[in-house]
This record gives sequence, structure tokens and C-alpha cells, in this order.
Amino acid sequence: MAVDLILPLAEVTGDVTDAGKAIALGVGAGLGSIGAGIGIGIIFGKEIESVARQPEMKDELQSIRWLGFALTEAVAFYTFIFGLIAFFL
Amino acid sequence: MSRKAKVFIALGIYFGITAILLVVAGSAGENEEFQPQNEFLLEPWIALSIGGIDFSITKAVLYLALASALTIGVMTFIARRMTREPNKVQMAVELAYDLTRDNITKGNIPDEKLARRYFPYLAGLFFFIWFSNMLGYLPLPTNTEHKVDIFGLELPTFAIYAATANISIPLVLALISTAVYHVEGIRAKGFFGYFKSWLPPGLESMNPFGKAAIFSIEAISHLVRPISLSVRLFANILAGHLLILFMAGGLAVLLGLAALGALTFPMAFAFFVFEIGLVATLQAFIFSTLTAIYIGGATAESH
Repeated sequence: MAVDLILPLAEVTGDVTDAGKAIALGVGAGLGSIGAGIGIGIIFGKEIESVARQPEMKDELQSIRWLGFALTEAVAFYTFIFGLIAFFL
Repeated sequence: MSRKAKVFIALGIYFGITAILLVVAGSAGENEEFQPQNEFLLEPWIALSIGGIDFSITKAVLYLALASALTIGVMTFIARRMTREPNKVQMAVELAYDLTRDNITKGNIPDEKLARRYFPYLAGLFFFIWFSNMLGYLPLPTNTEHKVDIFGLELPTFAIYAATANISIPLVLALISTAVYHVEGIRAKGFFGYFKSWLPPGLESMNPFGKAAIFSIEAISHLVRPISLSVRLFANILAGHLLILFMAGGLAVLLGLAALGALTFPMAFAFFVFEIGLVATLQAFIFSTLTAIYIGGATAESH
């Protein structure tokens, strides 16, 4: 109903479903990346802080840091993959 | 010449090539024929069906076999030729062995006997996923969709693909890991004891409804574990491959803009280095570390 009203106004040509899928992929993956970016920034920032405070903990923190990095980074890829699923299926 | 001038000249060359290409080549219009997602379609090379189930030999099967053969072959070859003065390859393998034994296994499974029992599985997981990921960044002649004609011979073109860029292989590994930690938990604490241990400590005085609610949340978290474990590996590798594919020219061909290719190609190189240097090893490490954490958590005395 709403789409029928908007289409003549915007003079849309082409497949509207494809456009919607493309917007879903772009917006979804972009918003997901925002969250993951903030998370990765927090992880590395906190790690720098704690190493500056206790340099002898550096080796122990290293594996924890990579674990946290990979877990957070994966969130961006989840949204990307679900966007791709919406785009191609 | 100051550093600032050098940076500006480099940027000028970078954008200059793009501008020249834009003027010379222009836009060829959108390319409808090129379907980049077909890179990830699995064409059956040898159709095979046993009892109604599809067992066809595809690209993924080849990569899986190659990764397994490399894992077994390389590791046994190096283990047979161990010397007192190690060369660089042996040192790298010893480093990886120490990482899997001390850091991944013993660091997350406190029980000595259990750690010894699961070290082969966790190390195997790590090395198999690592070889499979690294193999994915090696261009191999597997693209049978676009053939190239060399002296009358129809040869498949080079393409990158990884066994782990297909959801089925990470899913199988994740399901094995899930089954392993549930079975170990039940063996360590007994059937009801294990499910009781899902509840966090400090809830003794809570009423049964609250306990049931928390138990269902914990049950959901256990159900999500294999999904997140498999999708993490699969999505990382697939996204890396897609980025390399699109940046290295897929986008330029798809949109028919040669200038865009000049702009994105250095990014493809950067992503390639990032994937090889960090993501491939990190994902293998994460997968086996999380499996070890799950096994250690399922068998720990107090939750």
C-alpha cells in the first residue's frame, strides 16, 4: 500500500525488490560494523591501559586480547552474512 | 624531498591513474553476464548419488581432501625428520605445537588427564582449520565455469576457494565439538548432575520458577554455541574471500568501470595480507580455544 503511493512520486524504474535487498545488505552490514568497531576499539584500548599499568602482564593479556578481538569481529561478519543471504536468496 | 611531498606525489599517482583510466576507458555499462556469486556455487564434477544422498565430487570436496592430506602429510613429514638443530620450518611447527598444548589445551582444561586426552583433538582441529584456511588463499585452477583456451586445451581458470568458506565443514566440526563437551560433562558429573551444573552458583534460595527461567536461558546459550562457533569461522573466511574477489576486480567488471579497478586493487592487496597474516591463524586459534573452553567449563567442579 505504502509502496504504491511512493513509487509514482519517486518515479522508480527497475525492480523494487532488488533495491530493497541492496539497501538491506548495505544498511545491515554497515550498522553491524559500527558495533563491532566500537567493541574492537574498547578491547584494544583497555588492553593498552592495562599493559601501561602492569607491563609484566603483557604476555597473559595477549591471548585474551586476540580471543576478544576475534569474538567481537565475528559480529560484523554475522550481519554481513545475513545481509548476503537476504541479497542472494 | 620531504615526507609530506612524497605522500602527496604517491596519492597523486594513485588518483591520477584512476582519472586517466576513467577518461580513456570510460564506462562499459553494467555487466549482466558476470555472476560473482557463482564462484561459491558447487558444480558437481563427478555426479555421485548413494541412496538418494548427494555425494558428488565438487570443488569443496577437492579442497577438503587437499587440506586433510596437507595436514597429515606435512605434520608427519616434519615429525619424522626432527633434528636437534631445528631449521625454520621445524621451529615454526614446534611453536604451533607448544601453542596448542600449553596455551589452548592446558590453559583452558585444568584437569591434567582430560587435557592429555583432548590435546590430539584440539591440535588436530587447529592444524586442519589452519591448513584449510591458508589453502584458501592459494589460487588453484578450479574455476570450471570460465574456461581458458591454451593451445586448444580447455583448462579451468584460477580461483580461490576454501573448504571452510562452505558452511557444512565448520558446522560438522562445531557439532563434533559440541557433542564432545556435552559427553565429557555427563561423564564427569553424571546425567542430572551435568544439567544441574548449568545453573550458576548462588541460586540455592531461589524459587523453582526463577531457576527454570535461568535454566532455559542457559539451555538457549548452549544451543547457540554450535551455531556461533560454525558461523564465525565460515563468515570470516567467506567475507575475506568476497572482499578479495570484489576488490581485485570483481567490482570493476560488474560495473564496467575500469577506473574503479585501479582504485580498489591496492585495497585487495591489503585485505589479502590481512587475511593471511591474521585472520587465517586467528580463526583456527579461536575455534580450538573455544572448544577447549567449552570442555573445561563442562567438566569444571563449580560452574
